[in-house]
Amino acid sequence: MTLLTIVMQNPTPTPASPAGAGIFSSPILLSLLIWLPVLVSVAIAVIPNPRGRYDTLIKQIAFFTNLGLVFILFVAYNQFESFLPTMQYEEKLDWLPAIGVKYHLGVDGPGLVMLVLSGLIGVASVLGSLNVRERVRAYFVLLLLAQSSVNGAIVARDMFLLVFFWGASAIPLTLLVLGWGGPRHSAAAWRLFGYWGFGTAVLAAGVFTLYAVTGGRSFDMETLLKPGLSPRIQIVVSLIMIVAAATRLPLFPLHGWIRDVLAEAPPGVVVVVAGAASRLGAFLLLRTVIAGEPAAGHLLSPVLAALAVLTVGFAGLAALRTIDIRHAGAYLAMVPGGITVLGFAAVSPLGIAGSVLSLFTGGLAAALIAAVCATLSERAQSRSLLVLSGLAPRMPNLAWLLTIAALALLGVPLLASFVAEVMTFFGAFKNQPIGAFAVAGGLAISAIALAVLLRRVLFGAPNTEAPGVSDSSLNETWYLGLLAGGLLWVGLFPGGPKIPGTEVPLFDPGLLNQMTAGISDMASPYVAPVPTPSPGASQ
Amino acid sequence: MRYLVLAPEALVLATAVLVVLGGRLGWISRGASAYLPQATALVVLVALGIELWAGATLTTFFGGAVVQDRFTLFTKAAALLTAAVALAATDWTAEDSLHLGLAMPLLAAFGIMVAASSADLVGLWAGVELAAAAGVVLVSLRRPDLGLRLLVVGGVASTLIVVGLAFVYATTGNSDLPAIRDVLLSHAPTLALAIPMLLLLGGLALRAGLAPFHVGVLPAGLGASPLGAGLVIGLVAVAAATVAVKLAAALVPIPAVYVPYANVIAALAMVGGGAAALAVRSPRPRLAYLAVGQLGWVAAGLATHFRSGTAASMFLLGAFAVAATCGPALLGRAEGGEAAIAGFGSVRPVRAAGLGLAMLSLAGGPPLAGFFGELAVAAALAQSGNFVLLGLGLLGSVMSVAAAVGTLRVIYIQSPLEESRRGAAAALPSVTAFSTAGGVAFCLVIAAYGAFGYPILSLADQGAEALGLR
Repeated sequence: MTLLTIVMQNPTPTPASPAGAGIFSSPILLSLLIWLPVLVSVAIAVIPNPRGRYDTLIKQIAFFTNLGLVFILFVAYNQFESFLPTMQYEEKLDWLPAIGVKYHLGVDGPGLVMLVLSGLIGVASVLGSLNVRERVRAYFVLLLLAQSSVNGAIVARDMFLLVFFWGASAIPLTLLVLGWGGPRHSAAAWRLFGYWGFGTAVLAAGVFTLYAVTGGRSFDMETLLKPGLSPRIQIVVSLIMIVAAATRLPLFPLHGWIRDVLAEAPPGVVVVVAGAASRLGAFLLLRTVIAGEPAAGHLLSPVLAALAVLTVGFAGLAALRTIDIRHAGAYLAMVPGGITVLGFAAVSPLGIAGSVLSLFTGGLAAALIAAVCATLSERAQSRSLLVLSGLAPRMPNLAWLLTIAALALLGVPLLASFVAEVMTFFGAFKNQPIGAFAVAGGLAISAIALAVLLRRVLFGAPNTEAPGVSDSSLNETWYLGLLAGGLLWVGLFPGGPKIPGTEVPLFDPGLLNQMTAGISDMASPYVAPVPTPSPGASQ
Repeated sequence: MRYLVLAPEALVLATAVLVVLGGRLGWISRGASAYLPQATALVVLVALGIELWAGATLTTFFGGAVVQDRFTLFTKAAALLTAAVALAATDWTAEDSLHLGLAMPLLAAFGIMVAASSADLVGLWAGVELAAAAGVVLVSLRRPDLGLRLLVVGGVASTLIVVGLAFVYATTGNSDLPAIRDVLLSHAPTLALAIPMLLLLGGLALRAGLAPFHVGVLPAGLGASPLGAGLVIGLVAVAAATVAVKLAAALVPIPAVYVPYANVIAALAMVGGGAAALAVRSPRPRLAYLAVGQLGWVAAGLATHFRSGTAASMFLLGAFAVAATCGPALLGRAEGGEAAIAGFGSVRPVRAAGLGLAMLSLAGGPPLAGFFGELAVAAALAQSGNFVLLGLGLLGSVMSVAAAVGTLRVIYIQSPLEESRRGAAAALPSVTAFSTAGGVAFCLVIAAYGAFGYPILSLADQGAEALGLR
């Protein structure tokens, strides 16, 4: 409970830099995370590839590009100064000064958490896409563009940039589902575009509303989200932002795309959508509602709690009812989003911190459950839960991975989601007790759905009439293992690995430590005032 | 040195006349004709270079009838760049006449330049009519029936514009734009001025092919050769929009007489264009409807009647000019519906990239020129508190981007037609080094427009200031 101590007792942390932090700094570090994939995708797009001769090379380029991004992220992560409440690695240039647009990037603790998630998801998505055989060049160009736009939306500190990257991410992902999806790919892709396009339009409307009410001089978040807006404006803008976020995360009732998309998209795309791109919804809520409009955050917290309850409850019930394993995986991937939003609804420092950590853990868990279900159905040549039965002995790797995914969703100890869920629920039980109990109830339904799924698919009686099955290939095991490994690593070493008897983490300073930068300031409006004892009380 | 400012106009007009006469009188040999597109594009680039070098000079000619200011510089540069890229990107084997195909875009660009530098009502009218006449010529070459239709519709538009301009002249007693503005400063909005404005804006909307007036112009334009179609939905519309910008600036003291109409036209065009683009599947009509939607955004910027809105409209108009004119040219002969461009990305990668970027830019999709332009207009709408129009615009843009994504899917994800099944309507554009360079240049312009938004939008802002807007 390192974080609990830090957040609860120390809203303004004392400067205590982790060893080695702040040594290296690059003025274009965040730009590299955005534009390197774009440059590589342009290079891939223009190299001649007669009859797919260089397909393997293109896959290798995409993989090593993502490894390069992870290396840059590793530097950023290690050099990040967790005691600073301000943005780090900032880049600020005038772009369209006539309307107040700046190329302003920056990252704080929650942003760093999202970047680490995006980096892991990027590598996993490429590994999960190595089986792609058709139009390889176009596939990896689009995948890299999608990753770039997700990274851009994470580090954008200008609302214009945020709309730009947020909207941009929908286009390559829609095309990926359209071009490489399953039998119902067309409906899935257009649903994805419809919901995300609507969400982008709503987000843009919210941003322009803020722009207008703050004088129309700047799109910078520091200007648009400054304190002092009237509560009425805050509520209107926050409601708009909640709708935009609900289309992306997704939250009930704006979840209409998730079943079809996660059931029809190829596994590599499923990982990106469920893991990183959809988490942008929760990240938007954090930036604009919780951190940006605290008065509205307080007032609308019951709305957020209700959305969390409906989302988790619906996801559990729908997963229980379905007879398609990919649909089940898709519905269950909604659960972490509901828990993240519950933490925001708690409007307490601990709840917010839990939500920030659950951005990472929820992204990995959602990606893992949806991707395992996708891979398993491909390997078993069937999606029907009436056909899939008793597969554990025949596909041991996938059986383990499905089990880990189920445990991660439920937040069992040793996995990172446990830490996140404990913090979220502890925070929520105080301020949103009904919501917390209801979400816990929804989680219980999800647990039943998962238990039924595991029992039927892995441990039921083998179906002799089912098509032949095979276990995951090496690259499938790697990409799913990477997602599971991320959950295990942070679960085992939330504060970073340490030699027993020492306090200084080794190569990993600990996600739980790094994410605190900025959270205290975000949470400070929600800290309950400590009652000051009257002069006579002590006597 | 002062007269160097007029050199771009002189170069463009002289080249157009020489090319037409050369083709008609047989001055140019068959061998030399092969290099005519390159030579013409080079002349236009030289004119652009002169404009960018000497165009910063602020001056007037012919007793103030022609002005050179930042608005003129911006508009002329946009027209010249558009003409140069369009000439380079065109598949000349798909055009009906090399000489007329080369000359008409130059005449249309000249018309825009005349309208941009004109300081009186007559010059504005002359500029837009010149550009429109060039469109009629190119349409008539392939489909005389559609050319006649375009001529009749253009006649109606011209009548509306002339009657509107005459009423403005009668009301203010001036044909000079700055003088009109000065007179209107002490003038209350009256019905006598509001009705002619309705006619005037109706005429300009008809010229530009804006919804719901597109029913007259677009079908005619769609029957033309690729460059002809680009001319009708691109440069001619830009000429009409240029006139609208200058008139709006002159009438800004009494916005009540034109803002309601501009709001309605913008709303109809943005939503109608997006919906129509989504409804059709064939690439050329889809491009045309996307262009209608984006032109609606330009009108929305004008409806703000502020400097920032007008500057944003001009910024967007530059992006629109390039994408709307060059898009059909890049598409080439592929007129056989959606199937004609299936797998275009694998058989004609540069043209496919250009077509995809043109579609996305016209739709307002990130990260291209149109996106930045539309968001600049959206910012101006937010500043002026016009959230209804902003919401409708965003709705239209979402539909437009969905349509563009649908075409991208066909270009990049579907398999190309077998050669044996590819008829004349689905013929692939021929590949030459020049047209490939044109395609690459188009992609660079569209991709770089947003990245270099700082100087471009600043110039547009100075242009709006030059029109007297504050």
